[in-house]
Amino acid sequence: MTMLEHAYLIALIPLAASFLILFGGKEDPHSPLPFVGIAAIGWCLVESLGILYAAISGAALPYAQDWSWFSFGMTAANRPFVYDMPIGVLIDGPAVFMLVVVTLVSFLVQIYSLSYMHGDARFKRYYAYLSFFTASMLGLVVSSNLLVTFCCWELVGFSSYILIGFWFERSEPAYAAKKAFLTTKLGDLGLYLALLFIFVLVGSFQIPQIAQFVSRGYMSTAAATLIALGILCGAAGKSAQAPLFIWLPDAMEGPTPVSALIHAATMVAAGVYLVARCYFIFTAAPIAMETVAWLGALTAFLAATMAIVCTDIKRVLAFSTVSQLGFMMCALGAWGLTAGLFHLTTHAAFKALLFLCAGSVIHAVHTNDMRQMGGLSKKMPLTFLTTFIGTCAISGIPLLSGWYSKDMILERVYEHDPRLFIILAITATLTAFYMFRLLFLTFLGTERDKDKHAHAHESPWPMTVPLVVLALLSIFAGALLDHHHLFESLVTGPVSPEIPHPAPPWLGWSVTAAVAASIVAAAKLYGGPHFETAQRLKAAWAPLFHLLDRRYYLDDIFLGLVDLGDRAARLAFWIDSEVIDAIFVDGWGAVARLAAKLSHLFDDLCIDRTVDGTGGLSVTVGGALRSLVARGLAQEYLMYAAVGMSVLAALTWFR
Amino acid sequence: MFNLQLLAPEIVLSVLALALMAIDLILPTRRSQLPYHLGWISALVALACVVATLATSSQGAGPLWIVDPFSQLFKAMTLLAVIVTFLLCLEYEDLSLSQSGTFAALLLLSAVGLMLLVSATDLLFLFVSLELVAVSSFILAGFERRNRKSNEGAIKYFLFGAFSSAIFVYGLSLYYGAAGTTKLLILSQNGSSLSLWTPVLTGLGRQGPVLLLAMLFLLLGFGFKAAMVPMHFWVPDVYEGAPMPVTTFLSVAPKIAIMGVLLRVFTLLVPASGLGLTGLLALLAILTMTVGNTIAIFQDNVKRLLAYSSIAQAGYILIGIVTANSLGLEGVLLYSAVYIAMNVGAFTVLQAVGKNGSYELSAFDGLSRRSMALALTMAVFLLSLAGIPPLAGFIGKFYLFAAAMEAGRAAASSSSKNIFYALAVVGVINSVISVYYYMKIVYHMFFLPPHERSSAPAIGPYLLAVLAVCLAGVLAFGVWPEPLIAQMRISAVHLP
Repeated sequence: MTMLEHAYLIALIPLAASFLILFGGKEDPHSPLPFVGIAAIGWCLVESLGILYAAISGAALPYAQDWSWFSFGMTAANRPFVYDMPIGVLIDGPAVFMLVVVTLVSFLVQIYSLSYMHGDARFKRYYAYLSFFTASMLGLVVSSNLLVTFCCWELVGFSSYILIGFWFERSEPAYAAKKAFLTTKLGDLGLYLALLFIFVLVGSFQIPQIAQFVSRGYMSTAAATLIALGILCGAAGKSAQAPLFIWLPDAMEGPTPVSALIHAATMVAAGVYLVARCYFIFTAAPIAMETVAWLGALTAFLAATMAIVCTDIKRVLAFSTVSQLGFMMCALGAWGLTAGLFHLTTHAAFKALLFLCAGSVIHAVHTNDMRQMGGLSKKMPLTFLTTFIGTCAISGIPLLSGWYSKDMILERVYEHDPRLFIILAITATLTAFYMFRLLFLTFLGTERDKDKHAHAHESPWPMTVPLVVLALLSIFAGALLDHHHLFESLVTGPVSPEIPHPAPPWLGWSVTAAVAASIVAAAKLYGGPHFETAQRLKAAWAPLFHLLDRRYYLDDIFLGLVDLGDRAARLAFWIDSEVIDAIFVDGWGAVARLAAKLSHLFDDLCIDRTVDGTGGLSVTVGGALRSLVARGLAQEYLMYAAVGMSVLAALTWFR
Repeated sequence: MFNLQLLAPEIVLSVLALALMAIDLILPTRRSQLPYHLGWISALVALACVVATLATSSQGAGPLWIVDPFSQLFKAMTLLAVIVTFLLCLEYEDLSLSQSGTFAALLLLSAVGLMLLVSATDLLFLFVSLELVAVSSFILAGFERRNRKSNEGAIKYFLFGAFSSAIFVYGLSLYYGAAGTTKLLILSQNGSSLSLWTPVLTGLGRQGPVLLLAMLFLLLGFGFKAAMVPMHFWVPDVYEGAPMPVTTFLSVAPKIAIMGVLLRVFTLLVPASGLGLTGLLALLAILTMTVGNTIAIFQDNVKRLLAYSSIAQAGYILIGIVTANSLGLEGVLLYSAVYIAMNVGAFTVLQAVGKNGSYELSAFDGLSRRSMALALTMAVFLLSLAGIPPLAGFIGKFYLFAAAMEAGRAAASSSSKNIFYALAVVGVINSVISVYYYMKIVYHMFFLPPHERSSAPAIGPYLLAVLAVCLAGVLAFGVWPEPLIAQMRISAVHLP
């Protein structure tokens, strides 16, 4: 229980560490301060594992603890009362797993970065940012107050912004950071509105209170739908769902460990996590649930198709992340809370693994382009092996972790709506295809760039150890968590929901067969030294390839919209300055000038003569007055005070 | 019956002050820092005594004074300001070495005056306390005898003080005419229970204009020490001339104590609303903030700029006194506490920067390159003064403006509604104006290059301690104001 009671520390320790690293010591490529960050996150990892252990061994979940934060007076139903805003932690099943995922991946990534980022001019600052990100992410996970969650949500977005743009001297990362920030902000707008709506309706930001409010049926379906769609909006931005996923491929400009931590395992899962955290609102709104399911399926399919033609190793993984997040969303929408979160957990392991492997490769050959790789398996056997395991896991090879979670999602979705199942099954097949394409292009075949190949070497131990740990998790996590329905019982509580139409047993095997077939296809196309068949296919389907390569023109559409807004603003400005100003301002000006000329004549002849006299007088008086005030003489101060006093007395008297 | 023991901290401090004056005669110059140390330690002890009784609901009353959580809170705040002033003195080099005992004694006496002020229930007693504060501050303000500006400020301060004392006494005599007593509050023993009543309230209708004038003059007499418009003219000159720690003290302690007195007198004992003085008070509040803020914009000397800023800050606090509702009372207490932290902080940084000899805006040029930490600290204090969340100043301002809105909502007639809404609106507009000149300092610190020969300001352990405490207060109460609010609520409830 003690671990649970100190759950709030998990978010605060990395925060303290980040400030310590940021402000302590001098910027130095060999600064020892990063070890502070690693130690802090190590501590958090131990705490999280302790919480997981407590949860498994039967601690009462959800565990909630609140402290009063600030209070303010307000009036409701014509009765004034003091509103007390709490700040606190809420640890439920999903939160436990999310804690372990975030701390574990962050821990491994920080160790990995020791080697990957070593010698960078801003080595220390990089670690401060990583710790800051971890702190905000953990805050998001544990907070029981949706307002605090939202604050952390924004901080996470901000950390992502500074980490994507970590190498801001180059224009691409700077642009990508801006794009990521603005795109997610677009989604956050919906989330913010949803939160305001919740507060107006429920009068609280506390998740348990909102849950109670909903479960007692006080929230109408329309309101729930509106709120759920708002939350989905935010989640779609952060978790890169269609059509807001355009930022994620570009976000790969950041350092690769950052991509592994933020854009594969943790931050992008925050959207899914938020939907899971507010699941009670979604279940009260069937339309929103359907939207979530279809949005997820659509995203999964679109992203998978785009991954097929991509040649940048990190972008393939980025598209794959988007696609897998789509899987999770779809599962949540199909009433499969357990399935979605299970996939979130396993995906975090193998996707972080794949990104770190990609980082290892990039570290060795200094390029992202798979066309310049090939044949690296001999040079980097450990990286090859771990990548192979990750690829098998994500493709859903039986008994690896991905197989368990993907199977669970597919079953769940099949029961909900067979049409969704078909889309996801196709996507799963495509996943296996593009992942093995990546594997073949990178590690097998002939070395296409002799020079780069010659310089490649296996990475040092700080990079390979995390790979091995994650590889082991990718293999065993699924089986471990599925053992005795452990995951399910923690997420949904001891009562297991009844399954109305259990999926037929051939379902899983048929998908596995399709996956196997697609692996064979990938081997045929990309396994050999030359890619004639692939080139031929590409020539034959050129328009389709072009469409996928241009990412369905979504980037162009969004930029077009931005451009349109820009043009509209310019047009409005033109109307304002050229039309309205010309008529109302300049026109008036002309009229006024005419009048002024007339009055000037009159002025000159009649009034000026008189004015000159009084003018001289007033200048003298005004100047004297000004110098009086500015002179700083005590007697004058006293006089002003006396005058002011008399005026006040008079006001009081004649009021 | 006299209950003299209630005033034990004040008595001890006065005796100590006299002793310090005597010590001064025999103290060798090289030990000149000793009185300051003695001063802050004794103030700390007194503070401990006061804080220990902070939560006790009612402690009793003497013939001329009353000691309750409300007065204790203000005494604690005064003592805090005194302690800080002593610490600042320890690192201020322009004070003459030979008279440190006198200086410490005067500062302690001034503190005693302020502490008695918030306890007083008799106008004569109030007046004597006020004079004790005033006379010692006159001398403190002119303590740098070699500095002509210091002398000029002290003389002006003295003349203005004499003038306002006369007004106060005039008000006092009118009050005596109207009420037949100088007491604001009379205790009567009905059987076993004590009850309190206010003499003037019984015959409120009859006295009419005389009582009105009396209260107005008393208000203006208080206004002198709190630097309310139109009694503010002395402020910039005195602040500019006075030794830096004295400036810090003057900008905080008397102002806060007077706010306490005003709160007690004008919202509870002789409610301004009962006399129909609400509009006038509101006008004073509006004038005070607006004049302070608008003139501050044109200042190039940071001491003067902060002087005008402190005038404006008093205007904000007045809002709470005008509204006279519970939110307003809490707001005044809250803002007073917060104001001490942020204003003392800003003045402390100014003292550190001013060690190089100049208090002009240009002395802040490029402070961020010379000492990033100091520049950031100053920025925090300035942002808090401007009322930017999540710093403590925002919470305080929020409370005060919310009090005005609440009073407007609860007001009966539409004209008084408008008064309160106008207060809130003017307050917000003024906050916006103030951002301009606070940010001017920030601009100088962060965006201008440092002068060639300027170096990083040296900060000793005492300044560092003061800065750390102020910074912690401003940040902590901004992020987590609940403990402070709870304390203020306790103190405000027990206001008699």
